[in-house]
Amino acid sequence: MKTTSKKLFLVMIVALCVVPLGFAQAPAAAPAAAPAAAPAPAPKPITDADLASAPVPSADARAKGDPDGSLTGTASDVTVTDTKKGITIGDLANQAGQNKIAINFMWTLVTGFLVMFMQAGFAIVETGLCRAKNANHTMMMNFMVYGVGMFAYWLIGFAIQMGGVGAVANLGGTPPLNAEYAINLFGKPFGLFGQHGLFLMHKGTYDVSVMVLFLFQMVFMDTALTIVTGSAAERWKYAAFIISSFLMGAFTYPLFANWAWGGGWLATLGANFNLGKGYCDFAGSGVVHAVGGVTALALSMLIGPRIGKYDRTGKPNAILGHDIVLVLTGCFILAFGWFGFNPGSTLGASGNGSLRIGSVAVNTMLAGMAGGFGAMFYMWMRYGKPDASMSGNGLLAGLVAITAPSGFVNPVGSVIIGLIAGVLVCLSVEFVDRVLKVDDPVGAISVHGANGLWGVISVGLFADGKSNYGGSWNGVSGSVTGLFYGDNGGQLVAQLIGVVTLVGFVFTLSFVLNLLLDWIVGQRVAAKAELEGLDLPEMGALGYPEFELKS
Amino acid sequence: MILVGLVVTLLGFVVAVLSLTLHSVGAQLAVVLLGLAVSLFGIMGVLNRAYLKNAIWKKG
Repeated sequence: MKTTSKKLFLVMIVALCVVPLGFAQAPAAAPAAAPAAAPAPAPKPITDADLASAPVPSADARAKGDPDGSLTGTASDVTVTDTKKGITIGDLANQAGQNKIAINFMWTLVTGFLVMFMQAGFAIVETGLCRAKNANHTMMMNFMVYGVGMFAYWLIGFAIQMGGVGAVANLGGTPPLNAEYAINLFGKPFGLFGQHGLFLMHKGTYDVSVMVLFLFQMVFMDTALTIVTGSAAERWKYAAFIISSFLMGAFTYPLFANWAWGGGWLATLGANFNLGKGYCDFAGSGVVHAVGGVTALALSMLIGPRIGKYDRTGKPNAILGHDIVLVLTGCFILAFGWFGFNPGSTLGASGNGSLRIGSVAVNTMLAGMAGGFGAMFYMWMRYGKPDASMSGNGLLAGLVAITAPSGFVNPVGSVIIGLIAGVLVCLSVEFVDRVLKVDDPVGAISVHGANGLWGVISVGLFADGKSNYGGSWNGVSGSVTGLFYGDNGGQLVAQLIGVVTLVGFVFTLSFVLNLLLDWIVGQRVAAKAELEGLDLPEMGALGYPEFELKS
Repeated sequence: MILVGLVVTLLGFVVAVLSLTLHSVGAQLAVVLLGLAVSLFGIMGVLNRAYLKNAIWKKG
């Protein structure tokens, strides 16, 4: 079995590497010579008078119903500003503009709703990977992190992150978000945090486009917060979890998100220092997942391993989760939600290259597939069985890794990125568990931290220079291009600066905040409560009251 | 040691930011990688080691 799986894995690797290269090297077929076409007549400008004769269904016809849909949605549905003049070109232009923004609002809101549902996926993945005696506690953390994070983000987090983002063209401009606090460093402005948007009322931010942006960014922030609940599960004091999550939603996450997405200094590395298009993170491998992952690492180190995870010599013991069905179902829910996460990050489906959503969605599903394969085959080869929970983590790792590059790479790049992520997550879990001796019950540090960083780096390698979101990215004209597609390495440097910011700055900030919290309220439950299971001591009720549980 | 670990971790970030003063992409890449190594050493080599000294499983 072991040898067969090894061969199968090698065949897959060879196929992935050789076949795409073959396609890439094949000469493009020369277009057939076409007969010279007659020049098209110059377009005739339309006038308001032309519009007066636009066919409109009669009231009688409409009163009979419209079973085939041909009478609904015509010129009669265009809002007319002056009924005496009738429909004008100005009316049409306004309607077209509103339609574009309406499409983008709908797209951004619906994809945001999908991302919100990922909370359910995280909740059951984490609960399934924990022991039954902690089911209520783990579910409650995942449930309440949604509200705690949202509250913090509404109060202050959104303003820090997006208060100075400037025009978000796809959403109609978001003009009130125009105040970024910046310092001068090396002769260039370094944006540090936004200043408008407190409570979504401050400085004109009670605005329809700001609301849409808030909803979408809020669910992303919550995703980062829920990553941490997994790594600290089964020993985290509930009160400490509430405060820690609040601090992360209010400060840690928004700060880095501002630097990357809110017009901060990482985003302007291209414009200010000629490093490619600046730090590029399409949907948040770094902003969401690595921020969650490095915070998970900080907290897991600080809080220490669960009782029984390591023996007296430091050898790790496997502590199995209680429900693999929950775990894999949760992974599927997350994969579904990722179709909101990545394609939704265009913030629209109309204008500024937003039609690339198809490519983004396909890249997302391909990388998830490759990640699942990579982890499954790695575990099969190494341990003789295709481990279910690691296969699930492989799928998630592929999705995490493709999140940053999903808008900039092609399908072959996506599969390679995902495949590497699937193997990387297995190696990282072993490293964290055996070398660092940091206890991470769900593998969050590896899935989100290690692969979030890999996703950020992969933009600097695999971005193919074919994307076009309105002709520029981060204020630098042209397409995002990586080292393998002809860039001089500047894009890779920008991505690596983002990586060091996550590892060096975000980790330190998370660690210090949680260390202070540890001193003030204590982060870890008492040993007796941990051994008993946290459901009764912390929550007052068992997750499965009718089951007889063993400690 | 915890404080030293945090300082070293943050130092790696400072080194990476200082790379922006350089003009060659190759030199910037080298300095940023150095910064990454310093930060990782701060986390894994100093901070984590300090916590492992008093790990719960050693007290058992």
